[in-house]
Amino acid sequence: MATPQRELYQAPPQRDSSIAGSGALQQNSSGAAYTPSYGGGVADSLVSSSVTYVCGECASKVALNLGDAIRCKECGHRVLYKERTKRMVQFEAR
Amino acid sequence: MPRSRTSTEWSVEFDTLRRQNLFKSPPSDRSAYPALAAAVRPHVESFNALFENQKFVEEGLLDTGIHTVVDGDPRDTNRDLARNRLDLRVADVVLEKPVLPASNKFSVRCREILPSECRERHVSYRGKLKAKLQWRTNNGDWSESWREFGQMPIMLRTNRCHLQKYTPSQLVQHKEESEEQGGYFIINGNERLIRMLILSRRNYPMAIIRNTFTGRGPTFTKFAVQIRSVRPDQTSQTNVLHYLSDGNVTFRFSWKKAEYLIPVMMILKALVETNDREIYEGIVGPLTKQSSNSFVTDRLEMLLRTYKVYGLVGKRKTRAYLGEKFRSVLDVPITMSDEEAGVKFLRKVVMPHLGNCNVTETQDNDKFQQLLFMIRKLYALAAGECAVDNPDAVSNQEVLLGGFLYGMVLKERIQEWLTTIGSLAVQWANVKDRKFADPSFNTEFLPAVVKKSNENIGNLLEYFLSTGNLVSPTGLDLSQTSGFSVVAEKINFYRFISHFRMIHRGNFFAQLKTTTVRKLLPESWGFLCPVHTPDGSPCGLLNHLAHQCEVHVTNTDVSGIEAALVKLGIFGQPSLAVGESVVVQLDGRILGYCSPPQARMIAHTLRYWKVKGENGIPLELEIGFVPNSNRGLYPGLFLFSQASRMMRRVKYLPLDKPDYIGPFEQPFMEIACVATDVIPGLSTHMEYEPTNVLSILANMTPFSDFNQSPRNMYQCQMSKQAMGTPGTSLKYRTDNKAYLLQTGQTPIVRPPLYNKYGLDNFPNGMNAVVAVISYTGYDMDDAMIINKSSHERGFGDGVIYKTKLYSLEAASHGGIRSKAAMTKLFGFAPQGERDPKATDILGEDGIAFIGSRVREGDIVAAYHSVMFDPSAGRHQNLDQRTSFFKYKDPEEAYIEHIRIIGSETGDQPCQALSIKYRIPRRPVIGDKFSSRHGQKGVCSQLWPSINMPFSETGIQPDVIINPHAFPSRMTIGMFVESLAGKAGALHGLAQDSTPFQFSEEDTAGDYFGHQLQAAGFNFYGNEPMYSGVTGKEFAADIYLGVVYYQRLRHMVSDKFQVRTTGPVNGLTGQPVKGRSKGGGIRVGEMERDALIAHGAAFLLQDRLMNCSDATRAWICRDCGSFLSTQVSISAYTLKGRGAGRGGGGQQTSGVVRCRACARKALIGDSKMDIWEDGNGARFVGGDDTTVVNVPAVLRYLDVELSAMGVKMKFRVEP
Repeated sequence: MATPQRELYQAPPQRDSSIAGSGALQQNSSGAAYTPSYGGGVADSLVSSSVTYVCGECASKVALNLGDAIRCKECGHRVLYKERTKRMVQFEAR
Repeated sequence: MPRSRTSTEWSVEFDTLRRQNLFKSPPSDRSAYPALAAAVRPHVESFNALFENQKFVEEGLLDTGIHTVVDGDPRDTNRDLARNRLDLRVADVVLEKPVLPASNKFSVRCREILPSECRERHVSYRGKLKAKLQWRTNNGDWSESWREFGQMPIMLRTNRCHLQKYTPSQLVQHKEESEEQGGYFIINGNERLIRMLILSRRNYPMAIIRNTFTGRGPTFTKFAVQIRSVRPDQTSQTNVLHYLSDGNVTFRFSWKKAEYLIPVMMILKALVETNDREIYEGIVGPLTKQSSNSFVTDRLEMLLRTYKVYGLVGKRKTRAYLGEKFRSVLDVPITMSDEEAGVKFLRKVVMPHLGNCNVTETQDNDKFQQLLFMIRKLYALAAGECAVDNPDAVSNQEVLLGGFLYGMVLKERIQEWLTTIGSLAVQWANVKDRKFADPSFNTEFLPAVVKKSNENIGNLLEYFLSTGNLVSPTGLDLSQTSGFSVVAEKINFYRFISHFRMIHRGNFFAQLKTTTVRKLLPESWGFLCPVHTPDGSPCGLLNHLAHQCEVHVTNTDVSGIEAALVKLGIFGQPSLAVGESVVVQLDGRILGYCSPPQARMIAHTLRYWKVKGENGIPLELEIGFVPNSNRGLYPGLFLFSQASRMMRRVKYLPLDKPDYIGPFEQPFMEIACVATDVIPGLSTHMEYEPTNVLSILANMTPFSDFNQSPRNMYQCQMSKQAMGTPGTSLKYRTDNKAYLLQTGQTPIVRPPLYNKYGLDNFPNGMNAVVAVISYTGYDMDDAMIINKSSHERGFGDGVIYKTKLYSLEAASHGGIRSKAAMTKLFGFAPQGERDPKATDILGEDGIAFIGSRVREGDIVAAYHSVMFDPSAGRHQNLDQRTSFFKYKDPEEAYIEHIRIIGSETGDQPCQALSIKYRIPRRPVIGDKFSSRHGQKGVCSQLWPSINMPFSETGIQPDVIINPHAFPSRMTIGMFVESLAGKAGALHGLAQDSTPFQFSEEDTAGDYFGHQLQAAGFNFYGNEPMYSGVTGKEFAADIYLGVVYYQRLRHMVSDKFQVRTTGPVNGLTGQPVKGRSKGGGIRVGEMERDALIAHGAAFLLQDRLMNCSDATRAWICRDCGSFLSTQVSISAYTLKGRGAGRGGGGQQTSGVVRCRACARKALIGDSKMDIWEDGNGARFVGGDDTTVVNVPAVLRYLDVELSAMGVKMKFRVEP
């Protein structure tokens, strides 16, 4: 648990059934403590899950919820970058 | 270990390791490329001079002075009425560096706003502008208040920018280019600069002949002498003396865009206490000496006599007269006396460069003397004794610098604000007949008067920069009102740096039919580049400074000059005959007169002192000695020391030291170009390098002296369109569109200046093995073939970055809105149902994933509407509906970067997103490439490597071009580059391609031929080659070498246009135009002619009818009209079942009849013949209708014509 997690491969969510997609996700990451913050599926609307961004000034991680003020918690910078997705990005090379 | 100072010396070598180290650890002492900073210096320094150094803004406030208004009835013209005066002035203006507003309580460590943040947030880089307003009533004590003028945009790397003293390593830390030079503004995230403009030389009386002057009034002639008088704050006032055919002279000036004429005598007499004899002697010379020039004496007598009609005697009376006439123009308070108004008039209008505030008597005398000189010059011009000064020659021009113009706009805005406050105060007083002396005034002045004015001057300045439009009551003595600012495009670095060297003649001249203003004159030598100007409409109007040309920004200290001149001997009394005495002027002030030989001696001595640095003569002084000549320019010794002059460095031979020379003095100097040009005893100066006359870009053309000159011009244009490297801080830039060449290389063949300007940081192309051969037929007409294998290895590979701003509140852009006013938020509506299609593409935050591929119409961000709930303190979504932003471009792109943009205050939710898309653009057939010699071509094939020809060493060309590209264009430089590149590649050498280094005795062909020979290649660069297809050797040897190729940004993907059907115009039914709208390309008259000539009638039918607006239309065969046909209803096909609907249920029969040919139905008509129109009217006949195929516009034409009462009749056959 203490060791930092390697980024796990996550299967891209299925287009047809989002429920099945998230089910597959859980199977994939079973046993690991890593809870995906991204991915498809209907999010639990009661828990507003936060998304982490990277501060444009000090590069620290900033977790924000819907409607939060845009500001780095460390340095107060006003531009945040979205992190690169941990989902697999795969294109057909032709 | 103390690190040695970063070296700034560069050679032609590759210096790979040194550059690598500079990249890895940007220097923390100074830039390695000072030449770049020097190129931008005029812009930066001119801004610096506003608030520091010269303090031009302060000078502007002094010139503005005190604005006075009075209370009481404004309609009452009684001047003796007791009124209270209110004096207003701005005592100080302060511009702060950009910092966060005080309302931001979150950032503690660093409160600076840096340029990179402004680019990323798509806002302007600006600082707070404040001014100290002072006022007093009835000469009491001054009260003051600091007023906030909003936010004023700030030029980068100036003394109001945080980056000013940053070292390259600090710059890189703050997300800037390591060689960021500034000189531009950031307006809404875009980089804009004020471009330099050409103006006529300041403080120099210019003789001009213009035929339009005769139209100014009766007796006006074409002769005039004009002086552009520049105040210490750099604003100017033009004074013109017109010669009238009766010998009179009229003084003309324009004030607030209106023109006024005054007899010059009136001004002379108002300036100083004088008499007719003094004026006569001041122009002709002492009466004791009998002057023989009856031309002037006759006219002078006329001038003096005709003035008598005014009956004004003495200075005071004349001033009062002027004041009375001009008091309404100058907007002086009613309490001011006429004489005071006259003084103000003289101060504001008459040659303000000799005194514009607190004018002393000496200054008035200076003005008087200068006017006399101008009259003398005018008479000489009218008599044909002197030539005109060419206003199109650089010698009579100077530069309007961006910073100065910006300062002028600021000054004028402040001036206008003062006037507004004045009139607001008068308004305040007029209500209920209040007085300025009332105690209530002092308490109410700020809240009830000043607060009502528009104090946001910063916003007005931002408007000026973002649109380039000058809103000004005076027009600032300029000939244009728009186009002052341009976007500093960073297509590549060459284009970017060129913007700062660009100098425009003025929009007014672009409309002139004549080409005289566009001509390249010899006076431009060394100041404006003869090569670097665009072809087409701006040719010759949009020039670029030669790379060693500087623009003087400071006013130099000239206190020692007068003393030095007196030592050299000048006297005060002028003479009409220029053979006896010529004028000595310093910045438009007459210092005295001397004899012509003495003038020459003074000029030479001054120059010697100036270069040596003796007697307090500054090096930047321009010593314009115009020698006496037979009907040449009016002679004299004109010294110039002030700002805005172009200057360049040449070697002064007597001392072998650098001297700075200006364009005014240059035509009269003996400057040798190279050592062999020096004529002993005559030449005083020599150029340091012959290439100094070329601009930065023109210098980058290798062996440009071998090319036909227009080809070098084309190359200067094309290097600015190349897909290159805009910079290394690309990640932090938000250009709407940025081009990047992935596989840029350093050219093998380049001049040493390439390194001096650090252009290896911004590669602009790639070295290619080029074979000049007609190989496949795919290389006709400037097409080029690219080796498919090279393409696969990345030849010319590039990408386009597009940044799109998705803003929820269009109006709130840049401004701070309260949290409660927000109506939308990014993200999915919290309780709403989520479309699985959207959740696939978007993250939990409702924003697309980085790295995902988007196509046209794909969703990139979600948002929902909200209401602010004050009790909960947060936003609530009510409708549970989610809306989406979409990617709209037709091309497939990848999401490179997403910025979540917060507000300046740091307490607002996200209202704007900036998404950067990456569009890969590998070269495809149809993309444009060019060498550095104006040889552009389009890729016509990606030829398979196995079919490419190969040489004996097994080398295949990357690029094949057709030999026909050369004979007519004569770009021999390209051949030489090919040779040099080949030899350089073989030996691992960087080849120096500076022009003018070879001669007939020592040819380039020999030099590089021997290098090739040493490597075992043919001396001439030819090689036997073998066909890739058959393997057989070609009959001829092929010219094979290495040439640097640029990929131009014009790509087919942005240009292709194709349609069969698509959107049509609503009125005509014809296809719309425009690629972006999916429109068609016009088949015009000439295309139509070609098709007719070919007999391709069916093709014509297809283009002009079927693919355009073909319609089936009903027409009456009898009357031949489209318009009278209508659908008829048979009276007896009532629907039986629809009985419930009263009267309805009628069915159209589908038969169209002509209403015009039908007659009203009569009782006896057969029921089968009767038809009804929609209104139930019954008709008989009009059956002879038919359907024809016609263009829809034909019917439209018929309608339009009938509206005018014109009937069209068509005969339908068969």
